[in-house]
Amino acid sequence: MSRHGYTYSAGKLLRHGLTRGAWPRMWGRPERRDSYEVVIIGGGLHGLATAYYLAENHGITNVAVVDKGYLGGGGSGRNTAIVRSNYLTPEGVAFYDRSLHLYNTMAADLNLNVMLSRRGHLTLAHTDSALRTMNWRAEVNKFLDIDSSVIGPEEVKRLTPSLDVSTDTRYPILGALYHPPGGIVRHDAVVWGYARAADHLGVHLLQETEVLDIVCAGGDGPEGKGPGGRVTGVRTSRGDISSPVVVNCTAGWASLISNMAGVPLAITTHPLQAAVTEPCKVFLPTVVVSGSLHVYVSQTDRGELVFGASVDPVGTYRVNGTLEFTEELAGHVLELMPGISKMRLMRQWSGLCDMTPDYSPIMGHTPVEGYLVDVGWGTYGFKAGPVAGETMAETIATGRTAELIAAFTIDRFTDGDLVGEKGAAAVGH
Amino acid sequence: MIVVPCPNCGPRNSSDLRNAGEVVPRPDPQTASLHEWRSYLYLRENPAGWVTETWYCRSGCRRYFTIERNTATNEIRDPGNS
Amino acid sequence: MSIHRLPIRSGELIDRSTNLSFTWNGRTFSGHEGDTIASALAAAGVEVFSRGMKYHRRRGILTANHWDPNLAVQVGDEPNVRAGSRRLVDGMEVTAQNVWPSLRWDLGTANRLVGRFLSAGFYYKTFMRPQFLWHNLYQRVLRKFAPGGRVHWKTGVHGEYDKRYAHPDVLVAGGGPAGMAAALSAAEAGASVMLVEQEPELGGHLRWGGPGDLAVLADLSRAVHSNPGIEVLCDSIVTGRYDHNWVAVVQRSHPVAPERLIKARVGSLIVAPGLVERPYVFAGNDLPGVMLAGAVRRLVNLWAVKPGSRAVVLSANSEGDAAVADLESAGVEVVAVLDARAGEDVVGARGRGRVSSVQTGDGRTLRADLLVTATGWTAPTSLLNMAGDRPLYDRTAARYFPQSLPDNVLATGGIAGDGSTTELTAHGRETGSLAAQRALRLRHARRTQTPRSLPPESDPPDEIADNRIPLRRSPHPERYRSTTHGLVDFSEDVSSKDLIQAAGEGFDSIELMKRYTTVTMGPGQGKLETVNAAAVLAESRAVEMADIGTTVWRPPFSPVSLGALAGRIFEPVRRSALQGWHEANGATNLLAGQWVRPDHYGSPMTEASNVRENVGIIDVTPLGKLDLRGPDVANLLDLVYVNRWQKLEVGRVRYGAMVAEDGVVSDDGVTGRLADNHYLMTTTSSGAGAVWEMLEDWLQTYRPDWEVHVTPVTGGLTSINVAGPRSRELLGRLVEDLDLSADAFPYFSVRKGIVSGVEDCIIWRIGFTGELSYEVHVPSGHALHVWESLLANGSDLGVAPFGVEAQRVLRLEKGHYIVGQDTDGLSKAPTAGLGGLVKLDKADTIGLPELRAAFERTDLPVLVGLQPDEPTVVPDEACQIVAAEGNEILGRVTSSRMSPTLKRSICLAQVDPSLAPAGTSVTIQLVDGRRVSATVQEHHAHVDPEGVRQRV
Repeated sequence: MSRHGYTYSAGKLLRHGLTRGAWPRMWGRPERRDSYEVVIIGGGLHGLATAYYLAENHGITNVAVVDKGYLGGGGSGRNTAIVRSNYLTPEGVAFYDRSLHLYNTMAADLNLNVMLSRRGHLTLAHTDSALRTMNWRAEVNKFLDIDSSVIGPEEVKRLTPSLDVSTDTRYPILGALYHPPGGIVRHDAVVWGYARAADHLGVHLLQETEVLDIVCAGGDGPEGKGPGGRVTGVRTSRGDISSPVVVNCTAGWASLISNMAGVPLAITTHPLQAAVTEPCKVFLPTVVVSGSLHVYVSQTDRGELVFGASVDPVGTYRVNGTLEFTEELAGHVLELMPGISKMRLMRQWSGLCDMTPDYSPIMGHTPVEGYLVDVGWGTYGFKAGPVAGETMAETIATGRTAELIAAFTIDRFTDGDLVGEKGAAAVGH
Repeated sequence: MIVVPCPNCGPRNSSDLRNAGEVVPRPDPQTASLHEWRSYLYLRENPAGWVTETWYCRSGCRRYFTIERNTATNEIRDPGNS
Repeated sequence: MSIHRLPIRSGELIDRSTNLSFTWNGRTFSGHEGDTIASALAAAGVEVFSRGMKYHRRRGILTANHWDPNLAVQVGDEPNVRAGSRRLVDGMEVTAQNVWPSLRWDLGTANRLVGRFLSAGFYYKTFMRPQFLWHNLYQRVLRKFAPGGRVHWKTGVHGEYDKRYAHPDVLVAGGGPAGMAAALSAAEAGASVMLVEQEPELGGHLRWGGPGDLAVLADLSRAVHSNPGIEVLCDSIVTGRYDHNWVAVVQRSHPVAPERLIKARVGSLIVAPGLVERPYVFAGNDLPGVMLAGAVRRLVNLWAVKPGSRAVVLSANSEGDAAVADLESAGVEVVAVLDARAGEDVVGARGRGRVSSVQTGDGRTLRADLLVTATGWTAPTSLLNMAGDRPLYDRTAARYFPQSLPDNVLATGGIAGDGSTTELTAHGRETGSLAAQRALRLRHARRTQTPRSLPPESDPPDEIADNRIPLRRSPHPERYRSTTHGLVDFSEDVSSKDLIQAAGEGFDSIELMKRYTTVTMGPGQGKLETVNAAAVLAESRAVEMADIGTTVWRPPFSPVSLGALAGRIFEPVRRSALQGWHEANGATNLLAGQWVRPDHYGSPMTEASNVRENVGIIDVTPLGKLDLRGPDVANLLDLVYVNRWQKLEVGRVRYGAMVAEDGVVSDDGVTGRLADNHYLMTTTSSGAGAVWEMLEDWLQTYRPDWEVHVTPVTGGLTSINVAGPRSRELLGRLVEDLDLSADAFPYFSVRKGIVSGVEDCIIWRIGFTGELSYEVHVPSGHALHVWESLLANGSDLGVAPFGVEAQRVLRLEKGHYIVGQDTDGLSKAPTAGLGGLVKLDKADTIGLPELRAAFERTDLPVLVGLQPDEPTVVPDEACQIVAAEGNEILGRVTSSRMSPTLKRSICLAQVDPSLAPAGTSVTIQLVDGRRVSATVQEHHAHVDPEGVRQRV
């Protein structure tokens, strides 16, 4: 046993293989208590990471994570699992770099192989202005010791031979922002790793428990909700839970949950679609992103190409996907790699993204005491999961907003101090 | 590809139009406080249900019009405007 | 060579008069037209077609149709071809996939030796340390074992794929008896019908039926093909149903395109895909020689292939019973028929490379080379899922049925229930009538919703209730797994044991189990596996199947090539009327947004100097141009620009900047007043479309009382800037009745006139380059004439064309900022230095409260002119301006060039306000990490800050 419970190792695989012995559960299905010190809404990566760091770093274990479905059923299991830290603004870079650092040691820290593959991340530039933005990012990145530089078409071709770098195409590849530490990770494993570790530290993971309302007192709005008030608990499909701290770690439903506390958000919800092909022998070594063509692609260890795009232009809570997404995606992928037109798209899906006006999250305390948010994660929530959990846990435990998330406060919209990631993050996977 | 009923052009594929988002009334710029102004700029109701929104008939009559759409089902109500 | 080919069968699809030659792993084989790749190989005695993904066990025919997980092969440069349904073509080169060095001797089989250690999710539990080994070693090995075929990314080309739109009233997915009957009755009711069938011929399961079935098939097929209201698409798959009945069909067997994507706006969608037969889970169920009843029936009846010589049949239904009869008629000895309805069972199959013996539930061991199972059906409810349905499990019938469907989606055939052929076609007919009636009502409604359409020819059909008699649900034993463990997912090599282990570890919901074990994640997307997986999960949790639910099938129904989805790629670029000339005269092009335009004609520096010294002409057509007419144009301009417009006189132009409602600079340009109620507005090239839509938005939704008409004329007018000290002289040679003198045509004025004989040209005097210059907007049909006249009449003046790069240099010398380059997504008006322009006392202007707030702030970055102290150092654009000591970013270089006029480097930069005062020394960090000093200038302009040159 380790501090995360039953330790996995090659030796254990061998022993279980020989004895055919059963493996223990990764997490339990605990009985709900009537009150907790902290209730976290949303059993995805952010909620689970917050719970884990509360327990691991701050010793706060009387914590419940409630989810209306199963663990990691939302954005955590629907994203394209890209990690990187080559953002545009210093605050963005510092934040995501910490996350990448946590990803680096996660397999060992959580004793679960999350299959981090730092295979290099290329953001292609097809126009002069895109190249200028890449240079901007590279310069900010280098200044903050992030391995990131702009490379020319020949180097792009050397790193990723299947890309067409000829000059007579509609979207010629003029260069790329190359970020060697960027890569992909097995998204579900990250969720399971945090869930298993949090569960072992005493956190209650309450699946299939839907939050119906947030109970408040003393606020300006109806039922004591809204600014000036404080949180006293949540009402769920499996009964009431009292708690002085309620954290909104949802994506896709952040506005609806936040309205339950009387805290409106600067969010519109859009689907983000993704798709995967049938497996083929591996030929794509890097993660390739093209902002102008609204596409990113990587190849899994199973040989499937995984594609993503920018969010759908029309806000909706529908997640059943569209045909036009696959049409545009295929057209743009074939612009980049004309030789793969016979690969077949096998499955498409979508997740919900809460888009904020400045492509940055909303984190920390709100005008309702005890109600905290970790929302507005747009298309970049996965790569931030570990650091979001760490900083939210710190903010909850100490009562002070963690330094790394100071720029992401909910007040910035009323103060007019937006974060400048819009340029870099528009299709910045 | 949903079908959006343009009051001029009739039912059209949504790719012929542009969605301009939730209708948010514009406060009087002379009297609005910055707080009111920024609520108008940034805060959205974002309901999972019926929303009144603006569309622009980009490839057709170039008219802006409003419809009601259910964001949970993409069902569109008879716009009732002309 | 066709050692297993049977004598002629009455329903066979093969044309024995043909002889098609093809290769399989390099060896030559032959088959007939109508054969699938698999049937031709099976007829020739081939038994092994692939290897399992993880353990590389040999795999043979399982289902003998599109869904066969064991029949993925490489055909030429096409990977993952379904050999169970792809028809044979002469000359095909077919190879096995994912084997090394060969299908016969595959080293991957070594994995079998360690198979007991490779349980579900084993890779999550090891390789955690040391970290670098995961990426550098383990992962590389793992990637070598990736399944699937080879994509020829080096040599492949995007072929001539095609697309088509269709608007059928009724689209029927599935050409079996119910589907054909539905299509016929819908067409008879007056609906236009598209009937889509996955196989190359209609008929569904009737095709491998007895004489009665074949007779019905012939009648239905004849009726369908001869009905002019039905378009029949065979070898085509309905791959998706999206909101508002937007339906995707991928058509193969098109005469020209390799595949064609049909996008259909469908009134009513009838889903009639039939049923997919389910494999049975037991030890050894993936051995070659274990087949489903449907597989042997197809092999025998459609392709006259004898599937084995001694068979054991496990039958739980009539399909199994029919297979027994088919086998006997094919001369296969049926050793035993085990009746699953009576509790008989199979617990194992054994053999080396092929089944040689079968263990029965009652302890017998039977010698056999063929084990046929018929244990039930999966309803392929993909299209229903896409329409929002969550099918419900029916214990009695041991399969899922539709629960609730929207009005515009109807189900018929096996997916809806059981019945004789007569009952199925009767249900199909009723479904077709109902679908047609609903679709015709919708067509009528759409017609009346379209103001300018012709009125509908008649009243809509009356609404009729859904009075269809539901198909019955025949009892069927729930048989999913025997008492032994076997494979659940053949493409992913996932066994029932893996699933039980996963559930025990906490992955006890179907979605979590799917993600942990990858069950149903392969190319078939769970068509064969989903129900068995749910059954194993139910068993391990000791709950009912109905409490498990199933995974939601997402589009596409069957994988679709990227080529078909892309179609012919249509991404045009915009070209000015002069682009042909530019290309014929040595221009190096630049793609800028939608436009292709000349970057330079050889030497941008020479071009720039020529503008300063003589005269140059540049094609600036991409500049957005909007023709504004009406009495309220000035009001509109006051609203959308930060400055004032009420007093602009006729004949004058003015510079204007726009901000959005949040106060961020969004566009700029000059606007001239051509007549009392007539203005021409210019915008940035990239902002042309957005500004136009923005003007319409304000006019339509905010001030509908204003009378302004906006017409985009960007392409209609070709814009030529004539710039340089000799521009007046040059243009003077071409204009008629127009006095270009400084008094008659001062700076920032506009005139209409005739240039080189071309009427209705608009000329304005502005100075983006900082020189005396005239921008001439010429009706595009005559633009080339004017351009060539300028060149022909100015050779003595040194006229030469210049491109975008020279213009960038000139404007930077002059200190003109570019929106989006020198400003960014957060730059407010004070940053861009618009303090003198913005009028805060207007009644209304876009972003007014934010403008007011911005000018009260002292912390906003400031755009400044900047010169490196070392004149030969040209910092790259985007270089950061940093604190001399420490690690703080204080700004960035936004534009940077070597100035041919000053012979030194010049920049624009956004800096922290503390660095903005003229004379401040700042530190620039170059791309190579070196730091250089630079000095903030008094003006943005480096050349002629007083503007003398442009006002002459």
